[in-house]
Amino acid sequence: MESTRITPRRALAFACLAVIIVASVEYRLLRILFIDRTALRAAFARSADTGWYPDYPNFLRGVAAHTAPGDSIAIVVPPSKWDDGYAYAYYRASYFLAGREVLPLVTPKDAVVMSNFRRARYAAFWRVKPPANARVVWQGNGGVLVTR
Amino acid sequence: MTPVLLAIAALFAYGVPATLMLDPRARGAKLAGLGLLYGSGIVFFAMLVLSVFDVPWTLPLIATIAFLLAATFRALRISLPAGEGGRRPGEGRVTGLTVAVHALTALTLISYAFYATLAPLWEWDFWAIWGLKARVFFEHRGLDWRFLSSEWNTFAHTDYPQLVTFNYDFIALVCGGWNDRWLGLLNVAFAIALLLVVYSLARREASPLVAALATLACAATAGSRYVGLAEGALIAFGGAGVLMVRAAIVDDDEAAMRHGALLLGFAASCKNEGVALLVAVAIALTLVSRRWLLRLWPSVVIIAPWMLLRAFHHLPTDLVEGNVVARFLTHLRGIGAIVLDLSLTLVDPLLWVALIAGVLVLPNVARRRERFVLLVVAIQLAFYIASYLVTPHDVHWHISTSWTRLTRHLIVPLTVVVVLALANWLGGGEDAAHAEARSEL
Repeated sequence: MESTRITPRRALAFACLAVIIVASVEYRLLRILFIDRTALRAAFARSADTGWYPDYPNFLRGVAAHTAPGDSIAIVVPPSKWDDGYAYAYYRASYFLAGREVLPLVTPKDAVVMSNFRRARYAAFWRVKPPANARVVWQGNGGVLVTR
Repeated sequence: MTPVLLAIAALFAYGVPATLMLDPRARGAKLAGLGLLYGSGIVFFAMLVLSVFDVPWTLPLIATIAFLLAATFRALRISLPAGEGGRRPGEGRVTGLTVAVHALTALTLISYAFYATLAPLWEWDFWAIWGLKARVFFEHRGLDWRFLSSEWNTFAHTDYPQLVTFNYDFIALVCGGWNDRWLGLLNVAFAIALLLVVYSLARREASPLVAALATLACAATAGSRYVGLAEGALIAFGGAGVLMVRAAIVDDDEAAMRHGALLLGFAASCKNEGVALLVAVAIALTLVSRRWLLRLWPSVVIIAPWMLLRAFHHLPTDLVEGNVVARFLTHLRGIGAIVLDLSLTLVDPLLWVALIAGVLVLPNVARRRERFVLLVVAIQLAFYIASYLVTPHDVHWHISTSWTRLTRHLIVPLTVVVVLALANWLGGGEDAAHAEARSEL
């Protein structure tokens, strides 16, 4: 039949079709059915927080439990530069403390924003010593929640 | 896990009647796939309506508005004879090989379900953008303009449309609280919905085996590995929408155009890239089949409220902030390095090479038949590359953190049309008889 005879072009078309099908199957994904997923699960569970896991997320859960929606909370952590870890700490706090007003003390350009510290009702210090005159609301998981 | 599955079932329960009101012919895979997608879209729109009027979200209120919205789908209904737009399903019967291909697709989806629910959602963009906003809105029981307007929260891309965040909030409302442990199931649902739509459309013009192969070829992409982000939803709504518009053009099918317009409107409600996709479709229609262009109006109706809200509240879009022209000219000088970066970080290069080679090897008549989808893909890729040229971020960082995600948006419609066109031509299908003879025209 004219329309189905084998030509180099048809052979190439068949090869393209075969490669599309074969290349679009995700073999690594299929492996997940046949492996012990325990280690993978643990790795994924800590991948959001890496070196800060599990203390920092647990500290933020504690802060959430000891504050109310609408409260303002400044975040104080060891990194003082945005890209050195402050961005992670601030974003992560924003997630765990949703409903509160989470305020950063550092901008993406590494400028310190003391006005946010003064404005916040609470300050969450994690692995940083709070001022001596601060009133401790709660402490745990390496951090202290203080208020004036 | 059960409450999340119940919430997804509720989305489906809203979407199926809506699908039938719009398209009484819908059955089987098409009804199931569109049912989930429309349910997701209707719930999003119901929650948006409540937010616009500052009414706190409750399940009964959302259910009422969603029911009313589903009923409005009847207004879009077009009377058509029974059957698929006058086209009979592709011939052929289900063979053992077809069943094996379906089994591999099912295995891919099951694997993806395990992957997507391995742990509480872990992606940075989930807890810093999509999940963060969803959680804030859940606490607020509606859009929280204080959060969105704060200068400290621009990192969360406050201008992004809200379909995915609102879907997470709907699940949280059904579950009675926020819990990100099983939210990945929504990604799985979007993947299944898209594949059902792909299969139903492919069956209109191909044998069961070819339709099954086209569906398998889309399975890994439909299950977006960026679990928790809006990619999965955008791939599902965008892919299904583009393929529906193609079906409208190819089969002169009014109902398919309605589906396409609605799905593309919901795609535009997932991410800004969805808005770009809608524009790409509009441009492609202008060039290819102008008479369908105005039929896109439901897309505009769907996306307009959020676009107006974000303009009214001055929510910033990073790409258009500052001196765009200056950035464009600066990056243009380094276009060689940008192109090299795009080439080196292209995901699935073998697949892309095969897809492009497949397009090139097709006879002209077959390529012309698929020019709508090919144009949409080309225009959308051009938009993505243009976004790198105007980015306010370091361009190489921007490429490395987004190019692999963005290119996956386009794989499903491109794969479907190339697989169908190649198989049709090789099998001596309806366009094959004169295709090769005319291919050098």
